[in-house]
Amino acid sequence: MENINENSRPSGIELLRTLCGIFGPCGNEERVRDKIADILKDSGIASEKDRIGNLFVKIPGGGEGYDPENPVKIMISAHMDEVGFMVRDIDADGYIRFICVGGIDPCVLCGKRVVFMGAEGEVKGVIASKAIHHKTAEERTTAVKIENMYVDIGAEDYEDASRWLAVGDYGRFDSEFVRFGINDAFIKAPAIDDRLGCAVIIETLKRLASEGKKLPFDLIAGFTVREEIGKSGAGMAARRFLPDYSVVLESTAVADLPDVKPNSRVAAAGGGGVISLLDRSTIYDADLVSAALELGEKKGIPVQIKKYLSGGNDAGSIHKSAYGTACLAISAPSRYIHSAANVICAEDYFSIRELVYAILTEHSFKK
Amino acid sequence: MENTELKKLITELSGLMSISGFTSVDGDRLKSLLGDIFDECESTPAGNYRFVKRCGRENARKILIDTHFDEIGMMVTGIRDGGFLNVINIGGLDTAILQAGEVTVYGKDENGVRHDIYGVVASTPPHLRKPGDAMKLRDISEILIDTGYPVNELGKFVSVGTPVGFRPVYSELKNGFIAGKAFDDKACAACAAAAIAETAREDLIGDVILQLSNFEEAGGGMTGALTGAFAEEPDCALVADVNLGRTPDTKKSETVVVGGGTAVTLSPITDRRLSSALIAEARDAGIKVQVCVAAGSTGTNTNVINLAGKGIPTVDVGLPLKSMHTSTEVISMNDAESLKNVIKLFISSGKIAAEI
Repeated sequence: MENINENSRPSGIELLRTLCGIFGPCGNEERVRDKIADILKDSGIASEKDRIGNLFVKIPGGGEGYDPENPVKIMISAHMDEVGFMVRDIDADGYIRFICVGGIDPCVLCGKRVVFMGAEGEVKGVIASKAIHHKTAEERTTAVKIENMYVDIGAEDYEDASRWLAVGDYGRFDSEFVRFGINDAFIKAPAIDDRLGCAVIIETLKRLASEGKKLPFDLIAGFTVREEIGKSGAGMAARRFLPDYSVVLESTAVADLPDVKPNSRVAAAGGGGVISLLDRSTIYDADLVSAALELGEKKGIPVQIKKYLSGGNDAGSIHKSAYGTACLAISAPSRYIHSAANVICAEDYFSIRELVYAILTEHSFKK
Repeated sequence: MENTELKKLITELSGLMSISGFTSVDGDRLKSLLGDIFDECESTPAGNYRFVKRCGRENARKILIDTHFDEIGMMVTGIRDGGFLNVINIGGLDTAILQAGEVTVYGKDENGVRHDIYGVVASTPPHLRKPGDAMKLRDISEILIDTGYPVNELGKFVSVGTPVGFRPVYSELKNGFIAGKAFDDKACAACAAAAIAETAREDLIGDVILQLSNFEEAGGGMTGALTGAFAEEPDCALVADVNLGRTPDTKKSETVVVGGGTAVTLSPITDRRLSSALIAEARDAGIKVQVCVAAGSTGTNTNVINLAGKGIPTVDVGLPLKSMHTSTEVISMNDAESLKNVIKLFISSGKIAAEI
């Protein structure tokens, strides 16, 4: 990659570490939003939030090719929320029954550490179910239903548990940011989906600001809420700003595992940002897709095409908002998405960062 | 030993790598953690560790305290493209808890030097789930561990047979409960070591042998405890292991309360006089005890120790534990404190001595 600044890699990783560490299940994004606003403010970038909880940075265009009378408007967005949990009920014995907020496979839940945010602060727990010693032969080959799981917070009974948690309190996976693999090439963390997208936008805004670059369009950077349930925050943002084009930064599940047939693998960790042609909620703008792939090739930035029709992202609500918007989605290829252990290849983060910068600064967006 | 020190010892011992058959991997670390408490320390042919504290008297009684040092885990059965590993379980591992979990692959370099590799247990991507298979649990043979290494690099450190264990991470829950891997049975080992450390030599009712035995979880018949007890020929034994804790999905009659104190199991294979004396002594001392029963098997090393050699009067005590055999086993530090105090009574009480 010709543009990548080696020196910016450690700070990029640290930003991702910070963001992945913040409690922000879908519908409870305020801690993430406040932290992002603080980070931007430290770089002299003002942000504002809307009444639904989205955070925006508006960067007016200027210079050559900018039409102040009728500017092209581009929105780049990433969602702040993550999959998580909510307290559904507290047992007489003090165990927490929960629902999942967002799509979580029950198979990744048993035996995982979680943290809930109660009125008095964080409450740690573990997701438990019947110990193997008590299971019948049939139970030993069957996944546990969420209704048969409970969170053990160490409470003695209902009264005790109620001192810390109440029905409706949010939870998330309690999981560290770990670098692993050969030369620490991989990262495992919770909420890489989609704090990685947030980190890329923050870094892009800081880079544009430090270079004093004027773009020939008005740029709206959106950090959105509630993607994991209904993709709703981004749609509201699009209807507020009516962008001509929208670039969605996301994470996509990949299946680059040895036992998976090549045509089911979606994409590969380490292969660069994943460009969607279509998924379950959007057909992407063909010109933008071509432009992204061509820019990747021209500048030596790894980029790959999503090879399996699955999933969806905020583009699903953005592309059909108001009068309609042409969308491009660039996703980080993520293993074990929506679990305590999202895994990405660090290099993909840098590739996406470079590709986003190239698209904004080199692609010619027409009204 | 303060509660915080005991907790530290529990998590340090539990955090060691001691999968059945691999108890020597962290042997030096074990000796450095416990060595100062004891007069002697050695390993045995079965992979046990034998720590001895002498009472200083001639022809003293021999009191055996057994806790098993081995823990459940996995073993590599294949190295796959992309740096993934196939594994098989060692001991009673529930595959329901594996996906998206974190593990340590205990590799070695070409010089035999330990080389730990972090791994994540791969989860099945949702689009690959066939309708109707949603509730089907993957067999251990289908489990893959993602190491993030290229396959040729991985082969330098890992081979078929390399052990894999849960990553040691410990969480503090409410009311002094803690969660993490391998409290079964190393939390009991820590309580026993603390009890022995806190008992002055002259207060011991005999020479005390702490046996950290191998092969309780796997390996065909509690071989460590059996051979260790045979060689030791103690006058009596106390086995400390974890007991299944009560949860919403278990029967009250088959479980003990986590936070309810030390469990003492009465059985035809345990010594009733010693057990009753210990229960009475503990209650007199204000230590919380809960009594439970078992017929032919306590599910612990008691099964073989009571039969060893010419027969050994054995007491079976336990630390209540929830989510057994997971990376998030849950125990109560109050129970750990109780267990420590019960073991202290066992090795120092005159009334116990009178029953031996």
